Order: sequence, then structure tokens, then C-alpha cells
Amino acid sequence: MKKQKILININNLEEINEYKKIGINNFLFALNGFSIGYNSFEIREIPEDSYILINRVLDSKDIDSLKTIKDDLLKFKGIIFEDLGVYQIFKDTSLELIWNQAHFATNLTSINIWLDKVSSAVISNEITSNEITDIVSGVIKPVIFNVFGKNMIMYSRRTLLSNFNKYNELEKYNDMVLGENHTNNNFLVKETEYGSAFFNNEYFNYIDFSNTLNDDNIKFYLVLNLDLDTNTIKDVLEGKTIGNDGFLNKKTVYRMSEYTDRGVK
Amino acid sequence: MKTELLAPAGSLEKMKYAFLFGADAVYMGGKNFSLRANAKNFSLEEMKEAVEYAHSLGKKVYITCNIVFHNEDLEGLKEYLKYLESIHVDAILASDIAVMQLLKDEHINIPLHISTQASTLNYEVGKFYKEMGAERLVLAREASKEDIKRIHEETGLEIECFAHGAMCTSISGRCVLSNYCTNRDSNRGGCAQICRWVFDYKKDNEKVTDIPFSMTPKDLNMVPFINHMIDAGVYSFKIEGRMRSIYYVSTVILIYRRLLDKIKNGTLTDEYKKYATNILNRVANRESTPQFFDKLPGVEEQYYLGRKEESNQDFLGLVLDYKDGVATIEQRNFFKLGDEVQFFGPNMKTTNWVVDNIMDEEGNPIDVARHPQMIIKIKLPFEVKEFDMMRVKVFDEPTKND
Repeated sequence: MKKQKILININNLEEINEYKKIGINNFLFALNGFSIGYNSFEIREIPEDSYILINRVLDSKDIDSLKTIKDDLLKFKGIIFEDLGVYQIFKDTSLELIWNQAHFATNLTSINIWLDKVSSAVISNEITSNEITDIVSGVIKPVIFNVFGKNMIMYSRRTLLSNFNKYNELEKYNDMVLGENHTNNNFLVKETEYGSAFFNNEYFNYIDFSNTLNDDNIKFYLVLNLDLDTNTIKDVLEGKTIGNDGFLNKKTVYRMSEYTDRGVK
Repeated sequence: MKTELLAPAGSLEKMKYAFLFGADAVYMGGKNFSLRANAKNFSLEEMKEAVEYAHSLGKKVYITCNIVFHNEDLEGLKEYLKYLESIHVDAILASDIAVMQLLKDEHINIPLHISTQASTLNYEVGKFYKEMGAERLVLAREASKEDIKRIHEETGLEIECFAHGAMCTSISGRCVLSNYCTNRDSNRGGCAQICRWVFDYKKDNEKVTDIPFSMTPKDLNMVPFINHMIDAGVYSFKIEGRMRSIYYVSTVILIYRRLLDKIKNGTLTDEYKKYATNILNRVANRESTPQFFDKLPGVEEQYYLGRKEESNQDFLGLVLDYKDGVATIEQRNFFKLGDEVQFFGPNMKTTNWVVDNIMDEEGNPIDVARHPQMIIKIKLPFEVKEFDMMRVKVFDEPTKND
């Protein structure tokens, strides 16, 4: 995996120099007010040669607000967006638009339809290694593949933690982990006024697997860091094994007839 | 004022009840390509029969084709859409752009409705889907009155909104909890409803309370704001529940039919709204609220403890026939002499009655209707019709003077 093809999100501005020292020069900043789950930044704080993350599902008032800062955003390299309203607002500009509709980039046909409209797309990492390989082999433009991080796996507009805290007269807890005991899963929940973002609390690590993909068809290898320090991230990128193989070898099913307690029939 | 009451149809039988009790249209899924993969769903032949039946009544059938596709799922999609075109379905609901593009590329002439799975919450998204050929948007359940109004005004598209039924905790389409906990793919119809489970509430690996964390939303119920929905531009009022019983579907559809009709003829009262809410809460065994329409939901719009939902035993019998003052009824739940019951149906005013006689199929008096689906006869002092229903007397329907 080429360092110059890594795109990494920034949680605090001091991380930039640390990453630059090891040859990473592509940075992603969650935009304050229009993103959820990650540390976010005001426009004035973000270096111009950066990508912007807008990952909220936006309502009509948000769209109106986004239009008021449209010109200010044109100086950046591009926007990774989830809400298709962002595409509508910026489609006639020179900004790189990158489709990142959460869990929807799961088939080659849809991804190529989008690639016909935008600069690139973030493909799903919640599909099998074979599916990912097929997609990367067949895309009409280089795509972005998320190789390390904690996946955001649910987005609720509700303030679920506040509601629970209030109902049970608990202190104002945030950044909580929900433990599910039957399946031994843990979910990290981060709440803001825009709702509740759920992350799988296990890191996935697809760095080894990403070396098997056709590099010509990869625009960036994306690292979405929630809570690790820069040294740990550097270790991960150098090959230290942190995290699991997610869905690479685990095919999801959707009919009960295909399902057993042990997995897929 | 033009509206559509849109019912779930989990089977041909449920579809027929939905139409009988007042639905203008139904939505259903085929065996493939539809969320609710574990519902009975419709074979190709059944869909054809459903469309013919609906059209004979002047009603409509929409087919859900709203999974998020993986590569392997796309096989057979083109042929499926062409089949749906050939049997003249009234629309398909889609969320994946692959379906929308295929309709365009292959010149398949089926109206396109954008599924709620696509999370449409603003007018620019609406414009995008209009460019993709959509005639109707099923908005995200998170849409406020203002969002609905803006989207309707700025796109000119038909607006469909959920009016009643279960809610996702997440914005629809934005949740894969099920994939992680059970390996069942929520966006391909396998959702295991993890958001209705309970969890330990932890910080730094320690539980901060022994109270289990729960995030289950109460059901959606738009009775208090149904006329405001019309004002905001909602055309189609959608009822959730393809996996619900005929009793549930019939009860809910009848209540919303009467609400819409009363709005149309200017006779809707607060008393009727209160009655409607009581009936709807009772049939679902859940509390319900308007959720996002007028505000962001807060503490009151959720449940906080693990809930065990007992099945509703209110449905006592289905009327098969009425002749010479005697109703023939198929029993659905236990009832006996002296019980207070209610008859309701699409063509009758809901009527209370105390059970003062029961006969077996041969006409012999009995005290109790004990066995599921046993056929009994009852002398009734008022007329009922085939497919009317008998339930436990729950609430009195308001009179005109209330």
C-alpha cells in the first residue's frame, strides 16, 4: 500500500505534521455542523489542500445552510459526501465529489453509475473479499477503499444517550459503549445535537488484503481514525496487526432459510 | 383534496382485506429484491393475480424492489422488471440507483417511487431522484412538516409518508447493526431488529448502571397531525406492516380510511381522533406518537425497558355470512356468554353487543366459543356482512354528538 495513496482523517491539527513525516499528505476533515461521529472542524481551520467529509443525512434547512457556505468550500480539493443533496449543490463546480453513501456501495453496477457522475466513490467494506476484488477490478475510475478504522454502522437522528440518561436520571454520559451479550458485540455511540452515531467498537484491518487489489483502480486507501494516537496509526500502517478481518471472509445472509446458529448454510 | 391510503400486503389474503377495509393501494414484495425477505411475499403468478384483482376494483399495486444490491443480487433483475411491466404493476419502489438506471436504459415503463430506504430528507435529494425518473418520493420517517412542505413545493413530485406503524431507531438504510450481530443483512431484508434488544451501558469497559440500555422507539401514529400532513403536501398515507395480521391491517386501515374521509367531508372531531388513537394503540399492543413531524423525538418517544409483547387476543371472530338474523362466524379467540364485544367493518358503524347466545355449527346452544377457527352461529339484532370482524369491546366509537 503506497503511503502517498493514503487518505486519513484528522482529529486534531497537530496530527498533520506527524503524518507528513511518514509520507502521508492526503487529509480528510469532518466539517462542523455537517458531519457526525468524528471530530469536526470549522472551514477556517482546515488546510486548503484537504478533503472535506460531509456525512450527515441533511434536512432542508441544512441544505439551505450548506448553500450559504458553498463558495467557501470551493477552495478545498473535494468533498466526500453521503447526502445526495451535496452532489446536487456542487455538481457543476470543479470540486472533486466523492460518493460515500454509507452502506450502499455494494455492487459494481451502482458504483459505476455513480462514477459516471462524480470523481470517485468510497466502496463498501462490509462485503466479502471476493466482492471487493470484483468491484475494484471492474470500476471505470479509481475508487476509495477503507482499509482501517471503526465502521460507522448506524446513524439515528434521535439523541439516544441523552434520552436514556434523562429517563433514568443518570449523569450526562456520552461516548458510551453498548455491550450486546448474546453475540458479544460492542458498539461505541457518539451523540451530538445531530443525533447518535454508532460505530462497531472493534477495529477492522484490511491493510494486508488491500495489497491484493488492483492498485491502478484505487484512488485512496482510506483510514478513518476515531480514537488512536498517531504513533499507533503509524504502527498499523507499518504492518502491526491491530483489528480483525471484518466481513472479508464472512458473507451476510438475509433469508432465515439460509441462516443457522453457526452461520450460512 | 386528493389522498391515497396505502396498505401493506404481506399476502393475497391481507391485500384483499386491506382493499375491503378502505385502502386505495397496496405495496408488496416479490420473492426476491424486496426488504422483508422473511415475509411470505408474492410469487410472480400471485403478483399478477394481485394486480388484476386490484385493477378490477380501480385500486393500485406497488412492488417493493428496494434492497441494496450486491453483485450477485443483480442477476435476473432486468427480467423481473420486464415481467412487472408486463403485468402492469402501478409502480416499483427502489432505493438502489442500479434499479433506477436499468428502468431508463431498458425503457421499462413502470413508474418509479423512491423507497424510504433512500433517506430522502431534503428537496435537493428530491430533485436528484426526479432527474433519475422518480414520480414519487417516500420520505424518510425523520421528515418534519417543514421538510415535507419544502420537498413537495420544490420538486412537484408526489409525496408518500408513513402515517402509522413501527419505526426504525436508525434513519432507514443507515443501519447495519444486524449484519454485525447476526450476519443477517439489514439492507437486503434480513434485519434482526437489534435496536429492539437491550444492552449493557458501559464506559471504560465498566457498566455505569445495571439498568439495561434500550432504544426502541414507540410506533409512529400521525392521527394528531393527519390534516397537517395533507396541508404539507402528503398525497399517500402509508401504513407499515407487511408481516402483520389481517386483524391488524383491517383495523388500522379502517381507522385511517375514516379519518381521511372525515377530513374530506369536514366532520373530523377531536373525540374521533382520540378514539382512533386508542384503537390503534390497542391493536398494536404498543404506544404510539407522531415522532418527527412536529419536533425531534425525545424521552417520551421511546421505550426504556425490554418489552415482552404479548399477542393481541382481541380478535374474536370473522363473519362468514349473515342470513335471517343469524351470523355465521369463524372463531379466532376465546369468548363466552356474557362477554362484551364489538362488531366492526367497512360498511357498518362499530356496534357494541353483549353475547347472549352462541350456537355450534348445527345450531345447538353452547356457552363458550373455545376452539380456534370453529364455526359458530349467533343471533344478532343488527346486520353484519361477510368479512366484518368481532372483537373484544374496547372503546366506544364517538357518536355524532360527541
